[in-house]
Amino acid sequence: MAMTDIAQAGHGHHGKPQGLARWLFATNHKDIGSLYLWFSFCMFLSGGVLALCIRAELFRPGLQFFQPELFNQFTTLHGLIMVFGAIMPAFTGMANWMLPLMIGAPDMAFARMNNWSFWLLPPAAALLMLSFIVPGGAAAAGWTLYAPLSTQMGMGMDMTIFAIHIMGLSSIMGSINIIVTILNLRAPGMSLMKMPMFAWASLITAFLIIAVMPVLAGVVTMVLTDRHFGTHFFNAAGGGDPILYQHIFWFFGHPEVYIMALPAFGIVSQVIPAFARKPLFGYASMVYATSSIGVLSFMVWAHHMFVTGMPAAAQLFFMYATMLIAVPTGVKVFNWIATMWEGSMSFETPMLFAVGFILLFTIGGLSGVTLSVAAVDVQLHGSYYVVAHFHYVLVAGALFSLFAAIYYWFPKMTGRLYSERLGKLHFWWSLLWFNVTFFPMHFLGLAGMPRRIPDYALQFTEFNQIASVGAFMFGLGQLIFLFNMLRSLRHGAPAPQLPWDGANTLEWRIPTPAPYHSFVEAPQLEVKENGVVVRLSGGRHEE
Amino acid sequence: MAAPLASANLALLRRLTLAALLMFAFAWGLIPLYRVICEATGLNRVVSADGLPKEQAGLSARPVSLVLDATTEAGLPWQVRPLTRLVAGRTGDFIQLEYEITNNSNRRVVGQAIPRYLPAEAAAHVRKLECFCFSQQAFSPGETRRFPVVLVIDKALPAGVDSVTLGYTVYEVPSGQEGRGS
Ligand SMILES: [Cu+2]
Repeated sequence: MAMTDIAQAGHGHHGKPQGLARWLFATNHKDIGSLYLWFSFCMFLSGGVLALCIRAELFRPGLQFFQPELFNQFTTLHGLIMVFGAIMPAFTGMANWMLPLMIGAPDMAFARMNNWSFWLLPPAAALLMLSFIVPGGAAAAGWTLYAPLSTQMGMGMDMTIFAIHIMGLSSIMGSINIIVTILNLRAPGMSLMKMPMFAWASLITAFLIIAVMPVLAGVVTMVLTDRHFGTHFFNAAGGGDPILYQHIFWFFGHPEVYIMALPAFGIVSQVIPAFARKPLFGYASMVYATSSIGVLSFMVWAHHMFVTGMPAAAQLFFMYATMLIAVPTGVKVFNWIATMWEGSMSFETPMLFAVGFILLFTIGGLSGVTLSVAAVDVQLHGSYYVVAHFHYVLVAGALFSLFAAIYYWFPKMTGRLYSERLGKLHFWWSLLWFNVTFFPMHFLGLAGMPRRIPDYALQFTEFNQIASVGAFMFGLGQLIFLFNMLRSLRHGAPAPQLPWDGANTLEWRIPTPAPYHSFVEAPQLEVKENGVVVRLSGGRHEE
Repeated sequence: MAAPLASANLALLRRLTLAALLMFAFAWGLIPLYRVICEATGLNRVVSADGLPKEQAGLSARPVSLVLDATTEAGLPWQVRPLTRLVAGRTGDFIQLEYEITNNSNRRVVGQAIPRYLPAEAAAHVRKLECFCFSQQAFSPGETRRFPVVLVIDKALPAGVDSVTLGYTVYEVPSGQEGRGS
């Protein structure tokens, strides 16, 4: 059976393959992780350019640069590209790179499937990009692709649906790999209740992906058959119901929020203890909090639908369930702060991004609790307050945690040190301009400015101008990051094996840069909670 | 990789793939589930007869005006209009009104009307006893017909609501879907 050789690929060949073949036929988890990270960074820049187009149009009221149809395509593709092209692949890439090193596995469980998971992504991204130039342009129904808008548009929508199928398949395969690797390939001594929080977060995220990406694939398939094959799932005239689309979409959509947040929690739970030089406070409660967030995330979807005419009893249920999910999240924030409490902290770039994450993610979480109140949501639904809320969660949450992860593990990945000066500049620059961009959006939403419009009433002008200036400066700041990475890859000072004296998980016990084939033989481990290595023997690496 | 480990990995791979496939099926299963839930709770029951309100002791009848309206889905070649735009009545009384529908095309067209109410809190209190929206309506080319609508606005209508708007949106039933849906 073909699956047998999938399982056994990646072993038996040693030494790095050279040239294009190394990447095209990559089966090494580090190579595939790098591919994921570079791909998601390209997507981050593409989605960012779309965001800047949006902000340029919104600098002044009236229509400046783009017609409303094109503007709608920008908002839609910005969302889709950032969610499915940038954030999710970036976390999968991080997991690919670091998980085997952190739990003492030789590689990911299914090396050849891993290759497929990655190489499905560029065609999907190409479909999304090319949809701009087909007749009718790209999908313009918002990233949620609500019916009946999405059942009406041109072939750009079909390309988007197909792209979602491909990206969904990719993420499901990536998740299967992560689950099997974590459950079956941990080194002796690395027990589940001792392994690093990043592994826990990746594990639960992978389960969420397997549970909900097929639901998304299903619902966009229904849109596709409504469009072309005469079904009427979402067409009121044919006995269907557009509200049904929203229910199925958000059954996927809310767990998706945690798919983009849990890995961030995992990363921060590694970085904070390393720079506070204290063990993670409340490790077991972190594990339970992460799991209960995973379970609860399936029971809150209709908080996105308070204005669809739900009965009051249902509104109350989803309102209280949503508030309830803030409790385990609050436990996490408490634990991170308690970890820092009386720690001997130092503020290198990864720590700065992690602390920035806690601060800004908490703001995003609180505006989320505000929105969970059904009576308030009726006012704020579809306004810029919502835009402000989810950008605090996704930019200052997911993105900042990814920056923390890149800076934290950069020395281990590349064997070189990044420029700390540029890293700190990148952080403070991002922190400042992020807030300049998104904080005014709270006010805009409270004052009644709707999202997804190219034009607005005059009284919204000042806050929009502030947000636009902030967005362009924030975008500019990301070039500092790119420059720092590119320069440090070539010219960075050689990194020691342990660049952070407080870091004590398994990946810091292997040479720097990480050998091409690490843990060819599993080590014997004695570990404490959060993957802190107490004793290590054996474990062989090969270049 | 050792053989037992490889086969353990494969077993887990199979189970996870199965889970993903089941969740894909679950997405499709939500369609009948949604119908069943809407049916059981009566949430979406907008095109069936409501039955008379129970005698509401302690509530007195009061005057209420009913504003009538109709729109057609883009592309439906019908003219749908109420014969009066405003009806004065009392809560608890039978109110009878009439709609006229003309098929302006030279083809046979089947349509389905969906009612809605403003303000939304009035919806639960308007009880339709007879309505052309209870079933699909087939029109031959050029045909005109009048439909009586009989309803009762029950006495529990919230205080402060003294005017209710009843509007119909009429959709064309795609061929192949006739006789389904409602
Ligand atoms: Cu949600």
